[in-house]
Amino acid sequence: MMPASGFGGAGGANLALKRSSAGPPKKLVIKPFKEKPKLPADFEERTWAKLKEAVTAVHAKQPVACSLEELYRAVEDLCVHKLGSSLYARLQQVCDVHIAARLRSLQGRAADPVIFLSLMDAIWQDHCSQMLTIRSIFLYLDRTYVIQTSGVRSLWDLGLQLFRTHLESGSEISRKVVAGLLSLLEKERQGEAVDRILMKNLLRMFTSLQMYTDYFEKPFLERTTSFYATEGVRYMQQTDVPEYLLHCDTRFQEESERCAHYLDPATRKALISVVERELLERHTQAILEKGFAALMAAHRLPDLKRMHTLFARVGRLDLMKAALSDYIKKTGKDLIMDEEKDADMVNLLLESKLKLDTILVESFSRNETFGNAIKDSFEHFINLRANRPAELIAKFIDAKLRTGNKGTSEEELEMTLDRVLTLFRYIQGKDVFEAFYKKDLAKRLLLGKSASIDAERSMITKLKTECGSQFTNKLEGMFKDIDLSKDFMSSFRTSSTARTELPTGIEMNIHVLTQGYWPTYAPVEVNLPHEINKYQDIFREFYLSKHSGRRLNWQNSLAHCVLKTHFDKGVKELSVSLFQTIVLMLFNTSDRLSFQHIHEATGIEDKELRRTLQSLACGKVRVLTKEPKGREVADTDEFIFHSQLNEKLYRIKVNSIQLKETIEENAATTEKVFQDRQYQIDAAVVRVMKTRKTLSHTLLISELFKQLQFPIRPADLKKRIESLIDREYLERDKANPKVYNYLA
Amino acid sequence: MRRGTKRSGVGSASSKSGKDVEAINAFFKEYSEPDDAELIGPEGVEKLCADIDVAPSDVRLLMLAFKMNAAKMGYFTAVEWRNGMGSMNCTSVQKLSKCLATLEMEVQQTVVFREFFKYAFTFCCTEPRQKTLDIETASQMLQIVMPNSPHLEPFLQFIQDQKEYKALTMDQWQGFLRFCEETLPDLSNYDESQAWPLLIDNFVDWKRA
Repeated sequence: MMPASGFGGAGGANLALKRSSAGPPKKLVIKPFKEKPKLPADFEERTWAKLKEAVTAVHAKQPVACSLEELYRAVEDLCVHKLGSSLYARLQQVCDVHIAARLRSLQGRAADPVIFLSLMDAIWQDHCSQMLTIRSIFLYLDRTYVIQTSGVRSLWDLGLQLFRTHLESGSEISRKVVAGLLSLLEKERQGEAVDRILMKNLLRMFTSLQMYTDYFEKPFLERTTSFYATEGVRYMQQTDVPEYLLHCDTRFQEESERCAHYLDPATRKALISVVERELLERHTQAILEKGFAALMAAHRLPDLKRMHTLFARVGRLDLMKAALSDYIKKTGKDLIMDEEKDADMVNLLLESKLKLDTILVESFSRNETFGNAIKDSFEHFINLRANRPAELIAKFIDAKLRTGNKGTSEEELEMTLDRVLTLFRYIQGKDVFEAFYKKDLAKRLLLGKSASIDAERSMITKLKTECGSQFTNKLEGMFKDIDLSKDFMSSFRTSSTARTELPTGIEMNIHVLTQGYWPTYAPVEVNLPHEINKYQDIFREFYLSKHSGRRLNWQNSLAHCVLKTHFDKGVKELSVSLFQTIVLMLFNTSDRLSFQHIHEATGIEDKELRRTLQSLACGKVRVLTKEPKGREVADTDEFIFHSQLNEKLYRIKVNSIQLKETIEENAATTEKVFQDRQYQIDAAVVRVMKTRKTLSHTLLISELFKQLQFPIRPADLKKRIESLIDREYLERDKANPKVYNYLA
Repeated sequence: MRRGTKRSGVGSASSKSGKDVEAINAFFKEYSEPDDAELIGPEGVEKLCADIDVAPSDVRLLMLAFKMNAAKMGYFTAVEWRNGMGSMNCTSVQKLSKCLATLEMEVQQTVVFREFFKYAFTFCCTEPRQKTLDIETASQMLQIVMPNSPHLEPFLQFIQDQKEYKALTMDQWQGFLRFCEETLPDLSNYDESQAWPLLIDNFVDWKRA
C-alpha cells in the first residue's frame, strides 16, 4: 500500500509488512525517521493559492476548479500543521475585500427604491449562499481552530460581521435601504400592493446583522407614529364615529398581519401599542363627545360593541363609562322633567331601560361596572323630580291591574310588572308610591275593577320582597277586609233578620273596611233615599250584634249603584254612583227640577253636586237634559228627565267620575304624605335622642339620614328640631350650643 | 364687704351693716307707690330716671332691672330693690349714677352679658306664658341691648322682610347673640351645617344674595 500522493515523493515511512507464515511471532521494530519529515517550504503558499482560487471563483459565481473534497483536505492539512490562524486571517482578508467591493458597487445606483432594494437583496442572497459554500470548504477550520481559539468568530459570523461593518460604514447604503423599506411600507399602508417577500428578506437581513432594532425598528416606529398621528386627525375630521372605529379595527388587523408576514415578531407589541396610541388613545375623548350619544340613541349595537372592545384595548373604559352615565342622566332628565310627557312617562322609561339592558348584554358584554353605572344614573335622574315619578308608576300599575286591559297575557303582565318594579327600586321617596297605590287599590277593590285577584296578590308579593312586610301589611289587610265582607254578607243575607225586615225592591252589598288599612276618606253627609237608609240601619244592627264595641261610619263617596230605570223605549239598568242615584231618585216624583231644589233635597255639597249633574246631563249618555244647554252648571239651571233616551245596551255605565281622580284628590294625597313625613321625622328625632341622651348636631343629622327612608333636606330637619326644642322635647346644651340634650 | 366684679348679675344679697339696710329702705321709700309701700310703679320709675338724668328707655335702666332680677317691666318690688341695690352697695340716689357706671362695665363681660341678653327677652314677655317676642318688640330690644354689633342692622332689616316667622323664640334670640359673638362681619366663617337656628341660616343666605 502506497501512501497518498499528497505528501509528495521522498521520505515516507515505508512499512513493508513481510509476509510470514505461521511461526513464532516476530517482533516488529518501528524506528522513527532519522530526520523529522518537513513540510515543503512553499507548502502553505501553494495550498493557500489553491484555496484562494476557489474562494475567488465562488465569489465570482464561477465553477470551482478543484473538487470540493480536495479543497476540504487542503484546509484540513493546513489546520493540522497549525497554520489555522494564518489561514483564517487570509480568508478573512479575501472576504473582506470582496464584500467591500460588492457593497461599494451599490453606491450611487438606482434612484428607485424598489430597484435599489432588489439589488441589495441580491447582494445579500449572494453573500449568504457564498458564505455557505465557503464555510463548507473551510469546515475543518470552523470546527477546530475556531472552536479551540477563544475570541475567534465562526466563519458564518465572520461573514456577517464583515458585511455589517461595510454596510454600516457606507452609511448612505444602509440609510437608503431603510428609506426604501419605509417608503414601501407607506405605500402598502396607503393601499398599494408591494413586494412583501423582498421586504421580508431584507428585514431578515437586518435581523441577522443585528442591525434591526437600531437601524430599522426605531425609524420604523417613528414613521408609524407620525403616519397614524396624521391619519388619526384627518379621519376624525372626515368620518363619523362608526366609520372611524371600523377603520381602527381594520388598521389593527393590517398591522398584525404585517408582523406575521414580514416584520420581525419582536416589533409586534411596540407597533400595536403605537397604533393604539395614535389612532385611539389620543382621540378617545373626542370620539365619545362626537358620536357616543348618537350611537346610543340609534341603538347601534355592533358599533357600540366595537367601541367597547377598542376602548378596552387602550384601557379607556372608564371614559366610556362616564360618557354612558352622562348620556343616561341627560336623556333621563329630559324625559322626567318634561311635564307634557307625564302620561307616557312610565312607558318611555320602561322602553329606555329595556334598550339599555339590551345594549349592556350585546355590546358591553355584561360589564359589571357598566351595569352599575346604568343603575346609578337611573337612580340619579329618576329622583330629580320629587314625587311625580312615584305617582305615575303607581298609576301605571293601576291601569295594568284594572279590567279592560285587553290582549295582555298573564306572562306578559308578570314581565311588565317585574320591569316596573325595577324602576320602583330606584325611587327614593317610596312612601309617595305607597299612598297612591293604596288609594288606587282601594278604588279597584271597592268598585270591583280588578282584572284578576291573582295578579293583585302577585303584585303585593313582589312589593313585599322589595320593601319588606311592613310596607305591604296594610295592603294585605285591605284584601282581608274584602274577603271577610263577602263572608259576612252571605251570613247576613241568610239570617232571619234579613229575610224578614229588609225592604224589598233593593239589593245591597256592603264592604266593611278596617279604618287603619284603607286610605282616609272624608265623611260626606247626604240625604239618602228612604230604602237605603232602612237597609243600612238593619245591617248596622246586625253587624254590631256580631261585633260589639265597633263603630261603623258609612262612606257615601265610595258607593255605587245599579238603577233600574224606565224609559220610553223600555227598561234600562244604569250603573251609577250613589250621588247620581240620589239625584235621579228625586225624578221619581217629578220630571223637572231646578238646581236649587236638587241641592236642598239631596244635601250634596255644591261642587260635588255640580260635578254629579254634569256627568248626568252633559256627558256621553244624557239621562237628564239641562236647560239652558252647556257644560257648566249654573245656579239657575233646570234639569229634565230624559225619557226619550235611546241607547243600544241594556246596562249603561254613567259612572266614570268615581274612577277618575280629581286634582284635589291628588294634591290631598301628596300633602298627606308630606305631613306623614313630618311626624316620622319628629318620631325619629325623639327616638334617637332618647337613646343617646346627648348628641351633636352633625351626628344627629347623619343619624336621621340613615334612619329616614325618604329624601329630605337638612333645612327641613332643622325646622323639625327647632319645633321640638320649642315643645321642650330637647334643649340646646348650655355649655356647647352645637349639642342637643334629651329632655325626659 | 366685697366689691368688684361678680360672676352673676342677679342681685345677690351680701352682708350689710344695719345702717346701709336702712339707707336702702329709705331710698326705696322715696319712689314707692303712695298706696303700696312694697312697690315702685311706673311713675316712681320715671321720677327716679329724672333724678339721675337717665331716659326711661336707656339701657342702663334695663341693666338695673336685670341686677334686681325685676319680674315685671316698669315695676320694682321692695325685695328686688333691696337685693339689687344691696349687691351694688348703692344706698342713695347720689350714689346711683356711679353704681350704674360700674354696673354697665360689669354687664359688658361676656358671661354676664349673656345672662343679661337672656333676661332682656323674658323681660319683654309680659303676657303670662308668653314664649315668643313679636318682631317689632324684638327689634327694638335688640337695638337697645346691642347697638354696636355689625350684624345688627342687616339682621333687623332681614327679620322685617322675611315672612316665615312672625315672632322670635328664645332659642332664636340666643342664637343671634352667639352668632354675633362668633361670626365675622363678612360672614366668611359661617357654617350652615352646624346647629344654627334656621332663622339665622336664612339670614345668612339673604345677606349673601
